[in-house]
Amino acid sequence: MTDAAAPPTAEAEPHWLRLHPATLALSIAKLGPRSLNFLPAIAALGVTGNWAYIVPAFLLFLLFSLLAAWLHWLRFRFAVGADEVVIESGVLARQHRTIPFDRIQDVSIEQGLIARVLGIAKVEFETGAGGGKDHDASLDAVGLDAAEALRGVIRAHRSELATALAPADAPGAEDRLLFAMGPRRLLIAGLFNFSLAALAVFGAAMQFFDNLLPFDFNIFNPVDWIDVAEAYGLDAWLVAHRWVAGLGAAISLLFIGFAGGVATMFFTNWGFRLTREPRALRRTRGLTTRTDVAMPVRRVQAAILVTGWLRERFGWHELRLQSLASDGGKERDHQVVPFGTLREIDPVLATVAIDRPPGETRWERSHHIVALGGLLGAVIAAVGGAVAIARGEPLGSLAIAAAVLLALAALVGARFRLWADLGDRVAIRRGWWKPKLTLLPHASVQSIDLRTDFVLRPLGLATLVFGVPGGSALGSHAIPAIPVGIAQALRTRILAAGGAA
Amino acid sequence: MSDAAIPHPTDPFAPEAINAVDGLTPVDPAFRHVLRIATLLNALPLAIAAMLADIFLVRAIDGPYGLLTVLGWLLGALAVAILPSRRAQRWGYRVGEGQLRVAHGWLFRTDTIVPFVRVQHIDVGQGPVERWFGLAHLVVHTSGTHNSTVTLPGLPADLAAAMRETIRRHIHTDFA
Repeated sequence: MTDAAAPPTAEAEPHWLRLHPATLALSIAKLGPRSLNFLPAIAALGVTGNWAYIVPAFLLFLLFSLLAAWLHWLRFRFAVGADEVVIESGVLARQHRTIPFDRIQDVSIEQGLIARVLGIAKVEFETGAGGGKDHDASLDAVGLDAAEALRGVIRAHRSELATALAPADAPGAEDRLLFAMGPRRLLIAGLFNFSLAALAVFGAAMQFFDNLLPFDFNIFNPVDWIDVAEAYGLDAWLVAHRWVAGLGAAISLLFIGFAGGVATMFFTNWGFRLTREPRALRRTRGLTTRTDVAMPVRRVQAAILVTGWLRERFGWHELRLQSLASDGGKERDHQVVPFGTLREIDPVLATVAIDRPPGETRWERSHHIVALGGLLGAVIAAVGGAVAIARGEPLGSLAIAAAVLLALAALVGARFRLWADLGDRVAIRRGWWKPKLTLLPHASVQSIDLRTDFVLRPLGLATLVFGVPGGSALGSHAIPAIPVGIAQALRTRILAAGGAA
Repeated sequence: MSDAAIPHPTDPFAPEAINAVDGLTPVDPAFRHVLRIATLLNALPLAIAAMLADIFLVRAIDGPYGLLTVLGWLLGALAVAILPSRRAQRWGYRVGEGQLRVAHGWLFRTDTIVPFVRVQHIDVGQGPVERWFGLAHLVVHTSGTHNSTVTLPGLPADLAAAMRETIRRHIHTDFA
């Protein structure tokens, strides 16, 4: 708390602070998307022929929005006490929220593009309360130095408490750099990050703006490539060698895919640094939106190693840590190593005390019945395709081809559903095209479902579903289709370990 | 909980056999009435909607007039008359050594264990229909994203309160 901008602590009457006045500027920026609300009104005015009113109405809308933003700013105040943060908000209905420092799992700082220009940051307090973001508190805009100071105050409080309880960490082990990504690594990562999404977006945009573009050129269309060649007098040659046009289209397609992958990688992971602080892992990254997230080591619930079929051949992996604190609201686990070798990942895993399974691990396999869902989908697709063909729709053959692929993927995927109990943690592997290894310490498991249904029960199988803090509600950790007896024994073992902790 | 060890009939064809096999206590039989009324309140609007759709839509497009109405009311009646008692029998629980076990369903059976030390907080709730039959439901909150709440319905109100006390004694405040 040496910083001059540090919020004063410990006063009888709380020292109320307002958000940075630049909040108003931010709210103007937010008006852009919000003015979509105004579209129906414009439409109504237009339809009724009152065109003259549109501009005044829009100005009025702007005025009201700004007034509302100003009122919100005026009525929002917060105070940092000796051991709690108090936030009061609401124009008409006042809300008074007290967050004790003890309950704050983490403070994350996020800066968007405008925020960086203005030197402000958004501060979010993660309290680990269930039920999504509404329960967490945030300060939309405070000065960057004040934000860091605030985090320092809360961190200091927490570590004070922690050292009082268990003076474990060596004081020398401060701010060790665990992993960083230079431009070279980002480039390699970006190339592996070949983005079909970018392709799709670009293709859709091309279709959409086809008539609006000043030039009439669709790079996905080989005919357009022939047109270009024509302009250079190459047309005679090209018509003879049509494949060149096709190649041109394919190359530009690939280029967009790669460029999209590299660009997203550069934007999100520019200046990536993962450091070990006394009690937490801290990650800073981002080109335009710079985020600074700290994960308390003790709050890490599970480690997830993701790779791809191709990148695994080159030894590249991605490490995510599932933690109570969330990642700027967008993803529910933290990417701590976006793209690295296992040799780089192991030290990170060691800091959170979740080691990779040793080489001699005996993996158990899920029953092949897990392919049933995919096979069912394949059957449905095949039937749909057959019906379409029967009705004289040649595209139905596409559906049948997809069905074959789907069935193959399901059958192959079922062979790659493995698990192993490693004493203090469970390892779950799945996937062949995108292998994913989940390392789940027994101590993080809060509850276990043993699920059977009318398919699994006759086969004597059950699925275990683990209740783990953090992560998304959709992607819960599970071991599918293992023998009931083994499932029950495993459940007892895991819960016993958790109860002892 | 001593009443968790009541001997069960072991007739494998008895509907409650699935609980007996798992060593679980069935919930209060009166719970089927609660389920029935809840189902009724859900099915009635659906049946009426089906009837209205039949009258105003199917007749207008010369479809099979009457089919939807009959189907809607028939399925609704079945759902209200037969299913609730079966569904109620599939619910089972057990307060074991330091853990709560709740199981329900048959086609898709879910059997959940929550260790008491993992319980964040506990609710005992009672809806108007439940109050009518002297029942209550126990809701156990964990910090897991999956299973953040585990609900055990169909408990006599006093038993629910007693269970809450049992679990409450076990909750360690291991947070600093």
